[in-house]
Amino acid sequence: MPIPLQLGRGDKMGRGPYEKSGILRDSSLPPNRPVNESFDIPFPAEFSKKDGKSVTKVLDHNMTIDVELMYLPFGTKESGQFTWQKVTKKVSIEKGGV
Amino acid sequence: MKVLRSTALLALLFLSSTALASPGAPSGEAKKATSIDELAKKYDSTGCKQCHEQIYNEWEQSIHSRSIFGTGRTAATIQTTVSVGLMGWKYSGVKKPEDVQVKHLMICAKCHLPQLAEATDAVAKEIVKNVYIYTDPKASDDARDKAVAQLSKVNINCLICHQRNAITHKWVDGFPEKDTVYGSKDGEHMDAAHPKMKKSQIMDESILCGQCHGLGPNLELENPSQCATLYASYNMAYRAEGGQEKCQECHMIKSKLGHNMQSYRDPGMAKAAVDFKVEALGYQWRDGAKMVPQALVKVEMINRAGHGIPDG
Repeated sequence: MPIPLQLGRGDKMGRGPYEKSGILRDSSLPPNRPVNESFDIPFPAEFSKKDGKSVTKVLDHNMTIDVELMYLPFGTKESGQFTWQKVTKKVSIEKGGV
Repeated sequence: MKVLRSTALLALLFLSSTALASPGAPSGEAKKATSIDELAKKYDSTGCKQCHEQIYNEWEQSIHSRSIFGTGRTAATIQTTVSVGLMGWKYSGVKKPEDVQVKHLMICAKCHLPQLAEATDAVAKEIVKNVYIYTDPKASDDARDKAVAQLSKVNINCLICHQRNAITHKWVDGFPEKDTVYGSKDGEHMDAAHPKMKKSQIMDESILCGQCHGLGPNLELENPSQCATLYASYNMAYRAEGGQEKCQECHMIKSKLGHNMQSYRDPGMAKAAVDFKVEALGYQWRDGAKMVPQALVKVEMINRAGHGIPDG
């Protein structure tokens, strides 16, 4: 969202409309321009050493990932959030291999 | 001779003042509303329902129909505007809620209740009193219900968009007339209170909505406020980049919401506003000698609205 500038001066964000006058920065999605984000999510795994070699024990080879686009009009993620879009993806890594 | 000269001077002054008055200009003598009830009566649009029932019903579902209460957040924000803003500022002249005048409340009312400009300070005080009751955790349910009902009597109704705010360029198009409703055509209008119908030059233009939905700080106020910045975004980031559509096309026509203009709270509007593509890939990254299993999630978002989202 447009991060409002308090009283149009300095570097502080204003919160209430009565003190907002300007924009500090804008994190909203601009019209008609693609915005890309990427995330690296680790699979659950345990790492150890055996005979001097690194050993990775994958605890689950499958993962369900929920990607949610949220809007927080007011309050926190736990209260008052609005889920704009939600996509669920299933991801796997191979067992075994070289 | 002296008497004649005085008479001539008076006549000249009278002619000058007559010549300066713009045709159709709102009369400065119009009686101001002294209560919420009077202001509601001054802008009573309940009669519109008789012939425009579907449109009226759509409007009743919109936030416009409860513009100073909103979902409750608007009323709460008016309360903090008074308690944190006005009462906290050294030069506002407001030490307690009862000190609030129309000019103070125009920080919010410029958009949430523009007709407050045609009311006395008593109305501003009545609004503030009810907002305080609504936000008081100690208030009884009955008292809060009454406060909400009172606040809901005044709003952005038919007569605000189709009369009061239907003309932005008054020196070009004239001032809105109290006996006229403005829409898509000229003609007679079967309503005793508003027997004339005139074509508004802006009824299907974004500037109609832009009057309230945000250019940025309202610098014309003694102490500027800022809510929405949508119209600025529409002009600078959408139209300037070749966007063609107008507010009404998405929020009323394509959405099929008509006068129940909604934004993200309507599932159809929310879905249409953002293309949301997700790709996910599982792979094992080699961190030196260690294999690290992870997933790459790539998200592409394209805002299809005619302005930045969200706004606020």
